[in-house]
Amino acid sequence: MDGSRMDLALFSQYIVNGLMQGMVYALVAVGFTLFFGVLDIIKFSHGDVLTVGAFSGLTAYLALSGMGLSNPVVLLLLVIIFALSVTALLGMVVAKLLIIPLKQARAPALNILLITLMLGTVLRETVRLFFPNGSSSKAFPTLLPTGGIDIGSFSLRIDSVMLFVAGALIIVGTHFLITKTKLGLAIQAVAQDEETSKLMGINFDSIVLITFALGSGIAAIAGIMNGLYYNEINFSMGLLLGAVGFSAAIIGGLGNLYGAILGGFLFAGLQTFAVVALPIPTAYKDVFAFAVVIILIAWRPTGLIAEKYSERV
Amino acid sequence: MSSTIDLNVRNATTGYDAVNVLHDVSVQAKAGNITCILGSNGAGKSTLVRMILGLTPARSGNVAFGETDITKTRTHKVIGKGISCIPEGRAVFPKCTVLQNLRLGAYGVESEDEIQNSLKNVYELFPRLHERKTQIAGTMSGGEQAMVSIGRGLMSSPELLVIDEPSLGLSPLFVTETFKIIREINNRGTSVLLIEQNVKQTLAISHYGYVLGQGRVVAEGTSKELSSSEAVHSAYFS
Ligand SMILES: Nc1ncnc2c1ncn2[C@@H]1O[C@H](COP(=O)(O)OP(=O)(O)OP(=O)(O)O)[C@@H](O)[C@H]1O
Ligand SMILES: [Mg+2]
Repeated sequence: MDGSRMDLALFSQYIVNGLMQGMVYALVAVGFTLFFGVLDIIKFSHGDVLTVGAFSGLTAYLALSGMGLSNPVVLLLLVIIFALSVTALLGMVVAKLLIIPLKQARAPALNILLITLMLGTVLRETVRLFFPNGSSSKAFPTLLPTGGIDIGSFSLRIDSVMLFVAGALIIVGTHFLITKTKLGLAIQAVAQDEETSKLMGINFDSIVLITFALGSGIAAIAGIMNGLYYNEINFSMGLLLGAVGFSAAIIGGLGNLYGAILGGFLFAGLQTFAVVALPIPTAYKDVFAFAVVIILIAWRPTGLIAEKYSERV
Repeated sequence: MSSTIDLNVRNATTGYDAVNVLHDVSVQAKAGNITCILGSNGAGKSTLVRMILGLTPARSGNVAFGETDITKTRTHKVIGKGISCIPEGRAVFPKCTVLQNLRLGAYGVESEDEIQNSLKNVYELFPRLHERKTQIAGTMSGGEQAMVSIGRGLMSSPELLVIDEPSLGLSPLFVTETFKIIREINNRGTSVLLIEQNVKQTLAISHYGYVLGQGRVVAEGTSKELSSSEAVHSAYFS
């Protein structure tokens, strides 16, 4: 009797954990899907932009608390603003100096992929070398309330709820931006037809820059969410998160916003399933999830969500 | 209100990669007129359109809209000067609704009143678009997409409308209808630069025209002159 109640609590914990992970994956996948939608490119450095975001946040925290600031709300706000600014700027610089010129020179997609792959390594190694003792994990501060809401034997962490809601708001906001605003309409136009979008009077380059700022900013949020949830970040966190986010975007159908979100939660669902229901060691959860992803991609090469006309970014 | 700005292409040369497609081309689209560019496939008509709009900028010579040199002006800024384009093959945004397509045509227009006014005019011209305003453009018939593309080109109330082969792939009945509409647009005061292969109907509505052959202007004149010109016939039947 006691044992099964324990299991229920543990089970709920896994579910909450899975939902949180799913949200982080979905946020990363949204970036991949935005970049692909607008420019038909795979930006492999996206995961490492997330790392840069998380470490910028940590840097801001260390600097501000060093200056004596201790109000967690103010700290969190400034941490987010700083990380957002750094990554948005990084995204725009990468687009301006690398992606747009490469696209203009009609570089093969493979070259862009390779270049962003190398860029990712540069970012990752920079974080490692720039941070004192950068090879080891860094503690990420607790800036959210630590309490829990008791539901029977299970205690729901308030910070998980807050993080989940924040992630959901960002996704809803992005969706609103793309489907309901003039900027979003321009992003859709650029995604569908670059030349014709220019003929509408749209400044193609600025739309690309804005899209890169947006996708990179969302990655920073995902990085900070991850840090706040696990209270720990490390220089290679973007590697796995990037790979997962990319797979999530692919399973959902690259370029499709809903697909990216679905893919993110699906991946986390698979990991959770592996942990909860399969008689395999927990460490194998990623192996299991990626294996299923491979099968899914083989089964539905263009993604789970059949591309309806209106849905692709 | 009638347009007062001439478009002048002077001694312009351009092309793609290492190859020049247009050689020393001079063309004028007079304010208030319908000016046509005739020429067979591959003559360089669409390249001329791309050059005017800055998609394939001139390599030498120049393009001016009124007093403004737009030779090296980037496409979205050319549009901002009052030129609008109905591109070859319609190029509607296939995943956007009819209304979104039309709104994109008015992307540079700030005032919502003006946009609403343009929408009203377009719906008057094409009542079908009003009925179908929530339909996804990619699911429409070729003729309907042509309406979307023309309507979209009008949304910015341009001074000059550049139309690249509007009759392409349309039924004869709809072609006739399209030419009527182009004349109507011109009657309302918009200058038109009309690229076409449909010689007879084009000359019937144009004031002045040019014939392109292998990237050069091989003949020009009033439509009456061109109708009886040897060059026109040889450009098409040789
Ligand atoms: N994007 C491009 N890249 C390379 N060459 C091109 C491009 N567009 C056109 N060309 C070449 O330029 C020449 C002129 O093409 P253009 O499209 O201007 O002809 P056109 O008169 O519009 O023909 P059509 O009546 O078939 O539309 C052709 O030889 C074509 O192959
Ligand atoms: Mg053409």
